[in-house]
Amino acid sequence: MPATSLHKLFASVVLAALPAFALIEPETEGMDAVTRDDGTFLVGSPTYSFDRENGAGGIHSESELWTPEKLRMRLLLNRLSGTPSWTPREPSMWLRTGNELGDMIYQDPLYDKDQRPDNRNPILEGGFRSPAFMGLWATARLFQVDHYSDNSKGVRRSQVDGDFSWFGENWPMFSTAYGGLGYTGHGVNASVLAGEEYVWLFGESSRWIPVHYSPRVEARADFWDLSLTLAYENAEYQNFKKKESGTRTEWNGSAYYHCGELCRDGLLWFGAGLQFRTVEDEGTVYTGLEDDVVVWPFAQLRLTPLKALSLDATFGVNNRDWLLQDSVEFKVGPMPRLGLILGEKNVAGTRLNPIADTEEYFDGDTISLAADGNMQMHELYVRAEDSLSLFRLGARVAGWIEYGAETFDTTGFVEDKMLTYRYGDVARIEEWIQGLSGEVWLGFDYGKMFSFTALGGYEHIWGPNREFEVSPVEYYAAFEGDWLLNGSFRIAHSLRYRSDARWNLRSPNPMVIKGDWYWDATFEQQFPKYGIFLTGTLLHVLSDEVLQTPNGSYDRLRFVCTVRKTF
Amino acid sequence: MDFVKALSRTLAVALVSFACSFAAETPAQDSVASPSDIAFSHVAVSVQGGEIYPWGDLLDVVENSVYVGMGLRYSYWENFDGILHFDYTYFKSRIKEVPYPGVHQAMGRLGLDWHGPQLGPVMFGGGFTCNWTRADGGDDKEYDRPGGTLVDNETEFGYFVHLNVPFLKYERVRVGLDVLWEELWTLPERSNMLSAGFYAEWRLW
Repeated sequence: MPATSLHKLFASVVLAALPAFALIEPETEGMDAVTRDDGTFLVGSPTYSFDRENGAGGIHSESELWTPEKLRMRLLLNRLSGTPSWTPREPSMWLRTGNELGDMIYQDPLYDKDQRPDNRNPILEGGFRSPAFMGLWATARLFQVDHYSDNSKGVRRSQVDGDFSWFGENWPMFSTAYGGLGYTGHGVNASVLAGEEYVWLFGESSRWIPVHYSPRVEARADFWDLSLTLAYENAEYQNFKKKESGTRTEWNGSAYYHCGELCRDGLLWFGAGLQFRTVEDEGTVYTGLEDDVVVWPFAQLRLTPLKALSLDATFGVNNRDWLLQDSVEFKVGPMPRLGLILGEKNVAGTRLNPIADTEEYFDGDTISLAADGNMQMHELYVRAEDSLSLFRLGARVAGWIEYGAETFDTTGFVEDKMLTYRYGDVARIEEWIQGLSGEVWLGFDYGKMFSFTALGGYEHIWGPNREFEVSPVEYYAAFEGDWLLNGSFRIAHSLRYRSDARWNLRSPNPMVIKGDWYWDATFEQQFPKYGIFLTGTLLHVLSDEVLQTPNGSYDRLRFVCTVRKTF
Repeated sequence: MDFVKALSRTLAVALVSFACSFAAETPAQDSVASPSDIAFSHVAVSVQGGEIYPWGDLLDVVENSVYVGMGLRYSYWENFDGILHFDYTYFKSRIKEVPYPGVHQAMGRLGLDWHGPQLGPVMFGGGFTCNWTRADGGDDKEYDRPGGTLVDNETEFGYFVHLNVPFLKYERVRVGLDVLWEELWTLPERSNMLSAGFYAEWRLW
């Protein structure tokens, strides 16, 4: 399938954001936080994680910040998530299953009830996308990740009527099925998908909110450099225990004109778009959007006066908010691998995610999800990389300052069995926060056969860190290796350590996530001639079973296997 | 003890088979250069059956059981085959408190076999296994009783290593012995089992 320019643009952004990490797939798209530790990556559920790269600048996580590249991500309350993905895959058919390791099977009768470990949960996925016939293709997919569902299950299952999923009785954090048709050819890539979905959103109150999309319909169309998206969602809300129910009918979408490949080489490129959401709430819906509508026009500009110098700016504004993200980069040497980059970037605005809901309603409290005033973040960075024979050596140093950082003003807590919820409002830290970070890496590449990278990073942040939602990780080290034996057997592994991180505002006492070692490994038999790939992946082998987020579920050793046949 | 008897019987057969295997015709080695040409240049299907012996503490939980299944073997690299097995067995419970007479177990295995010239026709390999279990009877109300978690579906992954000893070869058909050790990543302890059985394999191409 010829990739459209938007796909390429998204892919280039994703690739640029990722360092040379081992190619280990997590359970599903968008759960990248599972396989990364080059910063603060804390996973509480497939639908909620804190993901902040070392030296990213500012104290927010990446999923909290709106960018044009995230137009087709899912909006889960006020964060943009790659999970559950509604992006059609490449033509192929696939099956995937896995389990958090540690079901008892025949060990069960040997232990008393109180000695039994919690039951472990699987993942399940199957799907296909047909080859194109006259450009037309069909796709269908059913997937759910039951991992990370145990700890909060006791509370969550009383909130809903029935199993709240397509399969099983684990009350997974999402369970999705959809099918649809598409067309690819002559610069056009279009699809319409319709499905039914169960999702648990994580509120700013720290409670889990069940949403049943029935149906959810999403249409996408890329015409050369124009990308259109339109989604219809009939979202059902409920609290079975309290006999509450409500419905949100939502239309959302975007139109985005962006620069194609040709104009990107030019002196000036320009992009513009508009994203919107309109909602109609009936009954009890636990969040609200001011005026029931948000329209977010934005523009992008890139100026390249010299080949080595580029200026980028993205600006959006509407009646409630504005957001500016810009950068200046000066590059020397044969990019992207080797050379020197001097850069400066800024983020400033009234809200990191201006398309999100503006209020959450919890237990008689109205939580404002938008703070007054604005934030600003400025970062200077230097990145250098060079190679000697088969070796690569690189380093990056960054310093940043932030004022008006988004945080949460907690006014009280309430307990619900083992979960803790909070009252308050999204607020700002009206002080300057400063950060200094550095990273060094050493790589070794032997053609396609072997690649190894060792890297270490450090970051120190000065400021009122007890007011941060999360005090980020200070240092980490990682050893990554990829082998491709005989061009057909792939082994990828990643051994990592990260230091402590701390949640400050979601429980009466801060929750420290202790530093730990993680080891992931993927083994894959490949049959490129036949397009067959058999993959087994072990995730989080060495780490302790801990909660990484408040009200999340245990992070456990797990195994995932996939059979895929490409067309 | 049943288990020791059964195991010694199987090991005796294994030894004889192993000796026979060197007398059997050694399969011709492929001399194709590219791994992508070797992949699937040979494919064989098989049926198999034998006995599974629980190990360690599991001896007190379930009886030895008979398994049956089918398999697929395909050339992957020179001296390496890929294998895919689907087996079924039924474990009878030894513990009276368990609210069902036995457990259905389906096993899927994916791995690689090495058949270098140093081993003659014998193949040695390993891979990942996925075992699905469900109690034969019982209901959700009995979840808290011993063995109660199995009244719902339970699945666990693990790894296996095995020795494959072909001792009879006639045209496209090969018959042999398969001795397999498996460890499942269960909790509170890992679960180990040994199995020994025979297979008949028919090479499709």
